[in-house]
Amino acid sequence: MSCSPFDLRDYLFGELAEAERRQVDMHVRSCGGCREEMDRLRITQSTLLELRDEEVPQRIGFVSDPVFEPSGPRRFWQAFWSSGPKLGFASAAMLSTALVIFTFSRPAPAVTPMIAASVDTAKIEQQVSDRLTAEVRKAVAESEVRQQKKTAELLAAADQRFEQQRKSDMKDVAAAISYLQKETNVMAHVAYEPGSLR
Amino acid sequence: MILRAVEDTDLIRKACRGDVEAYNLLISRWEKRVYNYLLRIAGDREEALDLSQDVFLKAYQNLRKLDDPARFAPWLFRIAHNEAFSAFRKRRPDREAPGSSEFPADEIATAHTRVFPIELSIAVTTALSKLPEEQREAVILKIYQGFKFEEMAEILSCPVSTVKSRLYAALDVLKMQLAPLKSRGVT
Repeated sequence: MSCSPFDLRDYLFGELAEAERRQVDMHVRSCGGCREEMDRLRITQSTLLELRDEEVPQRIGFVSDPVFEPSGPRRFWQAFWSSGPKLGFASAAMLSTALVIFTFSRPAPAVTPMIAASVDTAKIEQQVSDRLTAEVRKAVAESEVRQQKKTAELLAAADQRFEQQRKSDMKDVAAAISYLQKETNVMAHVAYEPGSLR
Repeated sequence: MILRAVEDTDLIRKACRGDVEAYNLLISRWEKRVYNYLLRIAGDREEALDLSQDVFLKAYQNLRKLDDPARFAPWLFRIAHNEAFSAFRKRRPDREAPGSSEFPADEIATAHTRVFPIELSIAVTTALSKLPEEQREAVILKIYQGFKFEEMAEILSCPVSTVKSRLYAALDVLKMQLAPLKSRGVT
């Protein structure tokens, strides 16, 4: 069993950091047991490495088949996209072209749009105002019509009630007059009868 | 120090655009490592070569799916691992891959004598063949292919702790078998 601060096998396989390797080195120098263990590990490793690599009996290789190769335009396109300088040059060329086009075809100075913007605003405000006025007028007219209709209905109803009341009153008056005439006739008849004064 | 004129990442990018020659150059750089990895797993040259061809074909077909070209090595060995164990399953669905502890060690050693004639190599081959399949693959990836633990975890699709556990268990066994052998000066 090793008493090394780090695993001797990790040391052997180069899996330790430099500082850790130094600690193991110092420990192995002063510890006989760990030194013997390290020797055994090194011998084992060197014995294993006696088994040499063989040469490959037959070279492995693939043959280029045109069927699987990209076409001419595709090769150009792939080469274009894989080339940094070409891409950089193309980008710079596109940017320059865009700047030139913008310079010669840009719109009028910035003042005009501001005036145009104010004119447009006034026009819009006028249109809104006109539309609002028209709507208000329309609403008022409709309201007046409704009010007149209601007033006419109320007047008609009132006239009807008044006419009924008048007819009723006339009937009462006629009845009263009729009764009064009857009473008057009775009194007159009684007054002119000869035996009645006696 | 060897400086490569063209890096692997450049070859991968070219191969992704359909450059077969770039891919062939990439294969020439990796075929020996992949072949030897498969040879040590499969224990058969012909099968290792067939599997290597399948691995590079599959890698070419899926090269555009490789997000980070710098991670090509673990990605390629992941394909190799999958191809190898897929082939083993097809060949022996109810048994483990060749070289596992279930196979007689002397039979495997005899088979490999032709491949590695040196006596110590036979001893190593025999010792490796006795290891469980997962431990043997961990040793191959670490000792012979030099992958880091994180890369091994990526190839084997398991946590780093599992990789270390497999490797160190194998190392304990190999140390017991091989260290005394070399100390006695068998070679």
